[in-house]
Amino acid sequence: MLTPARLAQYVLPLMVLGSTQLMASTAVDQQIEQLRARVSAHSVEVNRFEQELLHPVDTRVAVFLTLAGRNGLEVDAVELFIDGQPVASHLYSKRERNALERGGVQQLFTGNLSNGGHEIKAVISVRTAKDQFIRRESVHRFTKSTGTHRLQLALDAHAPDYEPDVTITEWK
Amino acid sequence: MTGLFHSWVSAPAIKIFLLIALFCDPAKATSPTVPEELSEGVVRFALATGDITAALPLQDRLKGDSADYLRGRLLLESGNVQQGLDTLVQVAQGRYHRGEAALMVARHYGAEGDADESRNWYQVAAKNGFGETRQKARFALAELQRHAGRLDAAGKTLAGMDEGYWTAVGYLNLATDFARTDLNPSRALVSLRVALAMCETDTNRERSKELKSRLLVRAGQLAYAHEDYDKAIGFLKKVSLDSYRTPQALYLHGLALSEQGNYRAAMQSWHRAKKYPLAYPGVEDAWLGMGRGYDLAGYLGQAGEAFLAASAAYEGERATLRELEKRIREAGAYKSLVDDARNADLEWFLADSRTLTQPRLAYLLGLIENPVTQRAVARVAELEEMIASLEQQERDLTVFMAALGNKPSSDTQGRSKQLSADQDALTNAVAALSGPNISPAQKRHIRELRDALNASGSVLERLSNVGGGNNQRQPRKRQAERLRKQTQSLLVEVRAVRDEAGKALDRLALEFIEQEDQRMAFALDKTEQQIAHLYEYLALKKLDGGKP
Repeated sequence: MLTPARLAQYVLPLMVLGSTQLMASTAVDQQIEQLRARVSAHSVEVNRFEQELLHPVDTRVAVFLTLAGRNGLEVDAVELFIDGQPVASHLYSKRERNALERGGVQQLFTGNLSNGGHEIKAVISVRTAKDQFIRRESVHRFTKSTGTHRLQLALDAHAPDYEPDVTITEWK
Repeated sequence: MTGLFHSWVSAPAIKIFLLIALFCDPAKATSPTVPEELSEGVVRFALATGDITAALPLQDRLKGDSADYLRGRLLLESGNVQQGLDTLVQVAQGRYHRGEAALMVARHYGAEGDADESRNWYQVAAKNGFGETRQKARFALAELQRHAGRLDAAGKTLAGMDEGYWTAVGYLNLATDFARTDLNPSRALVSLRVALAMCETDTNRERSKELKSRLLVRAGQLAYAHEDYDKAIGFLKKVSLDSYRTPQALYLHGLALSEQGNYRAAMQSWHRAKKYPLAYPGVEDAWLGMGRGYDLAGYLGQAGEAFLAASAAYEGERATLRELEKRIREAGAYKSLVDDARNADLEWFLADSRTLTQPRLAYLLGLIENPVTQRAVARVAELEEMIASLEQQERDLTVFMAALGNKPSSDTQGRSKQLSADQDALTNAVAALSGPNISPAQKRHIRELRDALNASGSVLERLSNVGGGNNQRQPRKRQAERLRKQTQSLLVEVRAVRDEAGKALDRLALEFIEQEDQRMAFALDKTEQQIAHLYEYLALKKLDGGKP
C-alpha cells in the first residue's frame, strides 16, 4: 500500500532533480497566488471568529507540545485526556516530527473548561534513541481561573536510559 | 486540517459555547491563545507542516533574531508575495538568516523565469549561508551553469562543495551531460563514482538509498553501452531491490549477463524484472528477453511460449491503459492517479514490500518524473486543499448561524434567575463565616470560596445583561452570514481555477497514457515479429525434413 512516506521516498528525489529548472509561471500560477492571498486572509478572519465563538476567553484552555531537546526521541502518537475524557489525539507524520525536532511548537488542543480544579493526562508513544517503543503517561493537576489557561507539554529524554519524560508547564 | 468540532462536543454544547461567547467581554475575546514565548515555535511548526492559517495572526507578535525571517516566510506562503519578498530581501541584507532568506528569494526569481536575478541571489546564499542552505545554493549555481552548457564551470562549482546529497545530485546531472557529449564514457563514469562517494555521507538514509540506486543504474547502463559487461554487472548487482529503478536494473543486469553468454543467469534476472508492472522502464524488454533467452539457448518450444506470454501481457497492459484513460476522462487525472493512490494509505499498517508492484503507483511515478507534470500536480493539490478548507469553513459557519438564530428558552431564563438567587444566598453564607475565632487554614478556605463566588458572580452579571441578547446575537449572526457569503464566493472562484488546472493535468496525463500505449504497441509488434520468425524457422526446418 502507498503511504505518504513511501511516495515521498520515490518521488522526492525525482522532484529534486527537476526543481532547479527554470519554468516560467503561467497565468494559472498567478491566479493561484492571488487566490492564496485572499483565501489566507479570509481564513484568518473565520478562524478568529470561530475562536471567539467556540473558545470564549474566560473558559479557554490551550495545550501545546514541544520537544525539550534533540535527544533522538521520535514522537509516534499523543493522546490527551482532561478530567478522564479524551479530548485530542494525534498521530505524527515524519514532517511533523521533523518540525518538532527543529524547535516547532504544536498547538495540540484548544477547548473550554470551567474554573476550578482539573486533571490533564497525556499519553505519549515514542521511539527512543535505542529503537524501543515506549508509551508514557503523565498526569498533572491544575486550577483553571478566569482567562485563557495554557499548558505546555515538554518531552525530553535523559542519559543513560534515554527514556521519555514529560514536563508540564503552566503559562499564565 | 481537522474539523472544527471534536467528536466529544455535542450539538447542545456548541450552543452553550456560543451563548457563553456572547456574554464575554469583546475586548478580552481577542486575547491571544498562544503565549508570546511559544509564538515563534508555533510559527515554525506551521511553516514546516504547511498549515499556516492559525499561525498568520501571530506574525506581528514575533520577537527575536528570527522574527523577520519567519514573518517573510509567512507572507510568502500566504500569497502576499511582494510583501514577503521585500521582507526576505531585508533579512538577506541583515545579520541573521541571511543565507536562508537569499535562497528563498533566489528560488522565487527562478520560478518566475528570471535567471539573472536568481543567479545573483543564489550567489548571496552560497556566500552567506551555512550547512544545507549553502549546499543547496551552490548546487543551484552549478545547475544554472550546466543548463548554460558550461560543464567545466559546473564541475568546478561542484568540486568546491562539501560531501553530501546535493553534491551527489550535481555530479549525477553532470554525468548525464558528459554521457551525452563524450564518445568515451570515462568522464561520465568518474562523475558517477564521485557522486556515489558523495552520496554515502548523506544522513537521510531514504533519499540516499534512492539516489544510490539511480546512480548505480546510470553507471551500469553506461558501462553496458560501452561493452564493459563486468563493470556493468558490478554496478547493477548493488541496486536495492526496493527501488523505483530496480526493474530497469534487473533488465540491464540480465542483458549484460547474456552478452557474456550466461543466458541462464540472464533469464533469472529478467524473470525477477517481469514481476514488476509493465509501466516501469525495462520490464517490457525483460518479457521479450525471456523468449529471446530460450531461443538463443536452443529451447524453441519454451521460446514460443515465452513470446506468447509476453504478447498476452502487453495486450493486458493495453487494456489496463484503456481503463485508466477512461477513468481519467471521467474523474480526472488527479482523482484517478494521485488521490486514489493516497486513499490506499488507510490500510498502511497492512503495507508490505509489494508497494512497487501496483500498476497505478507505477504509472503515477512515471507520470511525475516530468517536472512540468510535477508542477501541474502540485497546482491541483494546492487548490484541492483550499477547496477542502473552504468547504469546512462553510459547514462550520452554517452551524454557527443556526445556533445563533435560536433564542434562549424561557427555561434558560428561569434557570438564570434561580442561579442568581443561589449566588446571593452563597455570598451571604460566606460573609457570615468571618469572625475572630477562625484559624489561618479556615481563612484561606474562605478566601478561596470568596474568589470562586466573585468569578461566578461576574459570569451571572453578564448573563443578566443578556436580556437584550439579540443585541449581541444579531451582530454575530450577521458576521457569520457575511463570512459564509465570502466563503461561498471564494469557493466558486477556487473551483473554477481548480477545473482549469485539472484540465491541464488531464491533458498531460492523457498524453502520457498515449505514449505508454504506443510503447506497449511497439513491444507487441516486436513480440509478434519474434513469433513469426520462430514459426517461419520451424516451418522451414519441417520442409527440409530435419528436426528443429
